[in-house]
Amino acid sequence: MIGYVLRRLLVAIPVLAGVLVVVFLLLRLVPGEPCTAILGERSTPEACERFNEANGLNEPLVVQLGIYAGNAVTGNFGESIRFSRPVSQIIIERLPVTLELTIAALSVAILIGIPLGIAAARRHNSPVDVAAMAFANIGVSMPIFWLGLLLAYLFAVVLLGTPFALPPSGTLSPGSRPLPFFEVWGFDLTEGFGSTIAEFVSNMTITNALISAQWAVFTDAVRHMILPAVTLATIPIAIIARMTRSSLLDVLGREYIRTARAKGAGDRRVIRRHALRNAMLPVVTIVGLQLGGLLGGAVLTETVFGLAGVGTALFEAITARDFPIIQGFTFIIATTYVAVNLIVDISYGYLDPRVRLE
Amino acid sequence: MKRMRWLALVSVLALVIAACGGDGGGDETTTSAGETTTTADGGTTTSVEPDAEFEGLALESGGCDYGGKIDSITATAENEVVFNLCSEDPAFLAKLAFIPFAVQPAEHLEATGGSPLENPIGTGPFVLQEWSRGSEIVYAANQDYWGDAPAFDTLVFRWRDSSTARITELTSGNADMITNLAASDYATIEGDSNLQILVDENPNVFYVGMNSNYAPFDDVRVRQAVAMGVDRQRIIDTFYPEGSAVADFFTPCIIENACEGEPFHEFDVEAAQALLAEAGYPDGFDTTIKLRDVFRVYLPEPTAVAEDIRAQLAENLGINATVEVMESGAFLEENATGEQEGIHLLGWGADYPHVTNFLDFHFGGNNPQFGDINPDIVETLAEGARTVDPAAAQPIYEQANNLIREHIPMVPYAWGAAADAALTTLENAAVAPVGAPQFFSMNPGDADLVFVQNAEPISLFCADETDGESLSACEQVLEGLYGYGPNGEVIPKLATECAADDAGLVWTCTLRDGVLFHDGSTLDANDVVASWTVGLDASSPLHVGNTGTFEYFSYLWGALMNAE
Repeated sequence: MIGYVLRRLLVAIPVLAGVLVVVFLLLRLVPGEPCTAILGERSTPEACERFNEANGLNEPLVVQLGIYAGNAVTGNFGESIRFSRPVSQIIIERLPVTLELTIAALSVAILIGIPLGIAAARRHNSPVDVAAMAFANIGVSMPIFWLGLLLAYLFAVVLLGTPFALPPSGTLSPGSRPLPFFEVWGFDLTEGFGSTIAEFVSNMTITNALISAQWAVFTDAVRHMILPAVTLATIPIAIIARMTRSSLLDVLGREYIRTARAKGAGDRRVIRRHALRNAMLPVVTIVGLQLGGLLGGAVLTETVFGLAGVGTALFEAITARDFPIIQGFTFIIATTYVAVNLIVDISYGYLDPRVRLE
Repeated sequence: MKRMRWLALVSVLALVIAACGGDGGGDETTTSAGETTTTADGGTTTSVEPDAEFEGLALESGGCDYGGKIDSITATAENEVVFNLCSEDPAFLAKLAFIPFAVQPAEHLEATGGSPLENPIGTGPFVLQEWSRGSEIVYAANQDYWGDAPAFDTLVFRWRDSSTARITELTSGNADMITNLAASDYATIEGDSNLQILVDENPNVFYVGMNSNYAPFDDVRVRQAVAMGVDRQRIIDTFYPEGSAVADFFTPCIIENACEGEPFHEFDVEAAQALLAEAGYPDGFDTTIKLRDVFRVYLPEPTAVAEDIRAQLAENLGINATVEVMESGAFLEENATGEQEGIHLLGWGADYPHVTNFLDFHFGGNNPQFGDINPDIVETLAEGARTVDPAAAQPIYEQANNLIREHIPMVPYAWGAAADAALTTLENAAVAPVGAPQFFSMNPGDADLVFVQNAEPISLFCADETDGESLSACEQVLEGLYGYGPNGEVIPKLATECAADDAGLVWTCTLRDGVLFHDGSTLDANDVVASWTVGLDASSPLHVGNTGTFEYFSYLWGALMNAE
């Protein structure tokens, strides 16, 4: 097992290096200069010259790539051209928001998608099956942007003044200033790796409020998370439901299931004890891929709901040609994909003892 | 050059010593106010007697040959700053009021290494409390404000990039005021009795340019035919929001002396056809309409407007134009180098409310986008730029406008209107034509006022920022010697007055007494000089900022001092 993981990690190195190089080169091919994007269209050639010089953009491409790759190896993604702030600091601020949104969306997707798929499989070709699959088809083809705006309008405007009203944007109500959990706990974390981790966790609004027992903030944060999480979960719900259904149907047709039924096992017991675990193998793969996809693909949801996550940061950086941010965030997303795939592969061994990781 | 560096170095040292409580400068070269210094071009820079008790800072260029407009800035007394200019500048006060030239404490600039990107200390009506990156900026009312303190406790800035999302914030009660309505959203606001539209008369102009260095636009009759052959009112009615108007002049009339002289040529197809025939093109000609597909208030629907102009030119004059949408950067570069043939669509929004900002930039002889500008126009504008008194400048700009009308380097089409929206419960809600909304004079009726703008500010050190979102956020905290009033007028802020000498070269600014910064320190003249040194003196160790380019210092004041 350890050997397998190490081999996979070694294979990940050229994959990530390839991602770095491709993103670096693609960015330089896109029309538009960082100077005019950041200094404005009235920037003088002299100002642009100073700007490019200060940001190393006058160096030959190979030199720029070498410097960037060298720094990236040590975990230094450089400074944002636009904000003059370390990219790593921006990642610490933005990634927690996306992580929390992704986890919430995936939880919603699993909690709704798997039962929906099971229900459809158990009542194959019944109205329940047709309705579930129709729901899944609508979900998978629903434009996220449109759905998000619709939900925001419905819950924030139409239902305003009712108990069902929900805020249309942000992670907290305007002006809310929650304390970081470590301050509530009385710890003085100002420097070192511990402070970085603490800052990262405290930027996960719901988690921070939960572990520091700031209940008003917690409630507020959860209310803000509902609409984006449901919106982002729509497509994964559909995909997971469809995959669960087809996988379960496949397993339910196997001989050992027939044997179990012949031995008198009830429908519920057959599914729980004999079918579901085996049917989960492809579902886990899909869930894993969805997790990676959600991390990188939350851009629309974050934009619609005004969440300061990876997606909006990446979108803004692309607009402003802020190369270091784009490269840093792309690297993080790529790394997440690789890590998730690895975890999915490892989880196979637990779900199906016949699978050996070699 | 060595002397310039030496002067700059001494200025900076004096600043550092003063910040540390030392006894200031005072060597034989410069820095202490009141000394008379011979500049590289043989002139003298300091003309005001020093305050005996006060160790004033000075920023000196060492000579106007560096190309900028400012020769020196000197703190001559605790409450007096003198700007020596290299040449007259009638827009001096209008520029001075621009927020990039705001004042922060010298000690704070020193302590932050010239880069107070997230922690500005100003004198404005609001104190920065917290910038939660990505989410919001929270300000508290400044109860020690030298003017009338805000009537509410907390101002919150948030941002959403789509107009629909901003309206949802407003209608859901999450925001008190939002910016930049899309034209399609006017009906939504007008149909809701809880909401109000706030018209923004931000000065801007959309124009259709023609490069006279390329045929057939080298013939003024062709240019006039193009001017008269398109119904501009139809374009305004079809593509622009309420409040927009056909541009009778290049500069919007909200600006003093902008609309002197004859209004631009009116729509007259027959006259246009006759002119075209006279020029040798009775059946029209082939050309290109170039543009970039970028939303601006002056041109909200670029491609649609281009298509309408193309259709009208074809229908009315037989001109066969091809619409070519270019990438923004490439379009501007081609435009700026004077290599853009055919017709191009572009516009301008005011940096500061003065006619020179519109006319001089485009027709002053240094902008090749229209080809060679008629020398009469250039000379007239040069005369206007030397005339500080607005009344004396009036006939000059009348002549300039008439010359532009005669030679037609471009056709002014539209003064685009924009609008913000607010809850009707927000008292005194309004949008100033220039600068940020003046929230300190509004009243939401409760403790918080939430404003949603387009995007997050880049930083809160606006000496080195150019985006409107940063400037709006800065303006709540920071102030300059002058500022903009509710109607776009230039009004004194930290100065009670800046008065020019007879030659218009020396401006003496008297500071308001008893103004406190948000850190409790008292404003004095050295803070003004220090703030300008950070932005204008490229050799200063505090010339750091965000990008380090200090674009508005070089752009509006000609050049940075001591730049390599």
